[in-house]
Amino acid sequence: MLKLQISQTIPMPLQIQLECLPGELHALVGPSGSGKTSTLRVIAGLMQANEGFIQCDNTHWFDADQAKVNINLPTADRSCGFLFQQYALFPHLNALENIAIALLNHCHDTEKRLQLAQEWLDKLGISELSRRMPQELSGGQQQRVALARALARQPKVLLLDEPFSAIDNPTRQELYKTLASIRKDLNIPILLVTHDLKEASLLADRITVIDQGISLQTASPRVLFHKPRNSRVAELVGITNIFKGVFSAGALSLDGLPHVFQVVDKGKIPAGQKVAWVIPQSGISVFAQSTPNSLAATVTQLSSLGQIASIQFVIKGSAVLVNWEASSAEIKRLAIQLGSEVHIEFDAQQIHIMPLRPINDPRRLQESGNTSEL
Amino acid sequence: MDFDSIYLSLKLALWTLAIMIPLGIWCAYRLLNAGAMKAWLEAGLALPLVLPPTVLGYYFLVGFSGKTFFGIPLVFSFTGILLASLIVNLPFAIQPIQRAFETIDPQIREAAKVCGLSPWQAFRFIELPLIWRGILSASALTFAHTLGEFGVVLMVGGAIPGETKTASIAIYDRVQSFDTAGAGTLSLILLGISLIAIALAYGLFSPRTQHQRSGKR
Repeated sequence: MLKLQISQTIPMPLQIQLECLPGELHALVGPSGSGKTSTLRVIAGLMQANEGFIQCDNTHWFDADQAKVNINLPTADRSCGFLFQQYALFPHLNALENIAIALLNHCHDTEKRLQLAQEWLDKLGISELSRRMPQELSGGQQQRVALARALARQPKVLLLDEPFSAIDNPTRQELYKTLASIRKDLNIPILLVTHDLKEASLLADRITVIDQGISLQTASPRVLFHKPRNSRVAELVGITNIFKGVFSAGALSLDGLPHVFQVVDKGKIPAGQKVAWVIPQSGISVFAQSTPNSLAATVTQLSSLGQIASIQFVIKGSAVLVNWEASSAEIKRLAIQLGSEVHIEFDAQQIHIMPLRPINDPRRLQESGNTSEL
Repeated sequence: MDFDSIYLSLKLALWTLAIMIPLGIWCAYRLLNAGAMKAWLEAGLALPLVLPPTVLGYYFLVGFSGKTFFGIPLVFSFTGILLASLIVNLPFAIQPIQRAFETIDPQIREAAKVCGLSPWQAFRFIELPLIWRGILSASALTFAHTLGEFGVVLMVGGAIPGETKTASIAIYDRVQSFDTAGAGTLSLILLGISLIAIALAYGLFSPRTQHQRSGKR
C-alpha cells in the first residue's frame, strides 16, 4: 500500500494526503498547475516535500518527522515505475535496450536482461518493434515501450503522469485496454494523473481531486460526481448546477428566492448556515405548465448537439441559472425555444448540500462568520 | 625540415587533449548544477577567449616563475607549456561539452533515475552517449587550437629546441631568419593537420553523414 501525507509551501503550495491500495488505480484530477504532477514527482523522489511522509508497504521512502532521523531515499532506491507524459525514452537506445537498461541493477547478465526486456515487449504486443529507435515509433508505440520500461524492474508502485494526453483517440482506447489487462496481474498501487474526468472515471477505482496544491476529496467516481464534498469539488468535477442557499433545520433556500426545499436534516449543519448545493440532471424536471412545487423560468440558451440539446434557464425574479440536457424529442414536446417560459421542479431527495469552501480554506471561516448577511 | 617542432606540437596537443577532455567533461557536468555561481564560473572559464595571449602568457610567466611541479620547473619547460596550454584551452574544451549536456532533455535524466540508475550509471549509459558529438567538437577545437598556440607558449616556454619550441614558434623563427621556404613548409603542415582534425570532427561525424552511412533518413 502507498500512503502519503506531504506538505510544502515553496516552490509551490502542496498539501496532499492519500492512500492507494495494492491493485487499486487511483486517479489524481484537477486543473492545470494544481499540483497533480508535483505529487507524483514528490513520490518518485524527483522533488522533495518539506514535511510529511511517504510510505510504501512497510518502507518509509520519505519522512521529515523532526523527532526521528529524516529519511529521504534517492529516486533510484524507491521502487517505482514512472510513465512520463512525453515518454522520455532514451533516444540513443532502441526499444529493447530502453527496457533492458531499467534492469541493469536487477540482472547482471546482458543476454538475460535483453531476454526479459523482450518478454515485456511481447506482453505489451509490440514484439516486432524491439530494434526500432524511439524516433521511428509512433506516440502510442513509444508509450507502450515506456510502460514496459516502467514495469520491467517490477516496481512496488506505478506512477502514470498524463500518459494518454499526447495520443490520438483510437490509440488511447487501445492503451486503456492494455492498462486494464496489465492491472490484473500487477496488484500494486497505481497512481494516474489526468485532467480528463471521463478518463479518470473510466479507469480509476478512486479519484482524488486536487486544487491549488490541496487534496480536496478522495472518493469513488460515483460518490464524487453525486456527492462532492464542497462547491469547488463540484465545479472541478464538471457539475454545472451548483447553487447557493441557506440551510435551516431541513429547509433549504435557493439564492435568496422565497421558495424553500424540504430536505433531510442530518443534524450536521447549524441553523442559518450558508451552503452550496448541487443536484444531478436526473433530479431536474421541466414542464410546460406550472406544478405545485415548480419554479417559473425562461430559456436563455439553447444549443443542439445532435440528438442531445443543452439548455440554460434563468429562474424568474432572480439571476439563478439552471443547466439542463434533454433529447431533441423532449425539446419538441415541451416546445422549448429561446425566450419561452417553462416550469422547473427540483427533486429535493436528490439535492446534495455542501460547505461553500474546502475545510482548509481560510475564506470558509470568514463566510461562516458572516452568515447573517444572507 | 624541423620535425622536432612538429613532433613537439603534436605531443603538446595530444597531452593537452588527454588531460583536457576528461577535465572538460567533469567541469561541464558540474556547471549544469552550479546554481548562483554559474555565470561567474562561466565568465572565468571564458576569459582565455578574450584576453590577448601575451597577457595570459605574462601572468603565467609571473605565476610560474620559480615554481616546480614534482621537481620540474614550470618556466621554460614542456610541463610549463602544457600547464599553460591546459588553462588556455579551458573554454575550447568545456563550452562544446557544456552545450551538449544542455541539449539533453531534463526528463531524460529523470527517466534514468526512475529506471533505478545510479548517478554514475546514468552518466555512463545515458548522458555520455548523448554528448559524444560535443566531446568530438571539443577535442577538435582543443587539438587544433593547441597546435596553433603561439603567444602563451612563447612567453612561458621561450623557444628551447626539443623542449618548448613548437611548430608555430619554429615558423616565427624561420621568418625572422628570412627562411620563408622553411616557414611555408611548416605552415602548410600545420594547416593540413588542423584542417584534417576539424574536418574529421565537423564533417565525417556530423549527424547528416551519420544518417547517410547508416542508411537512415
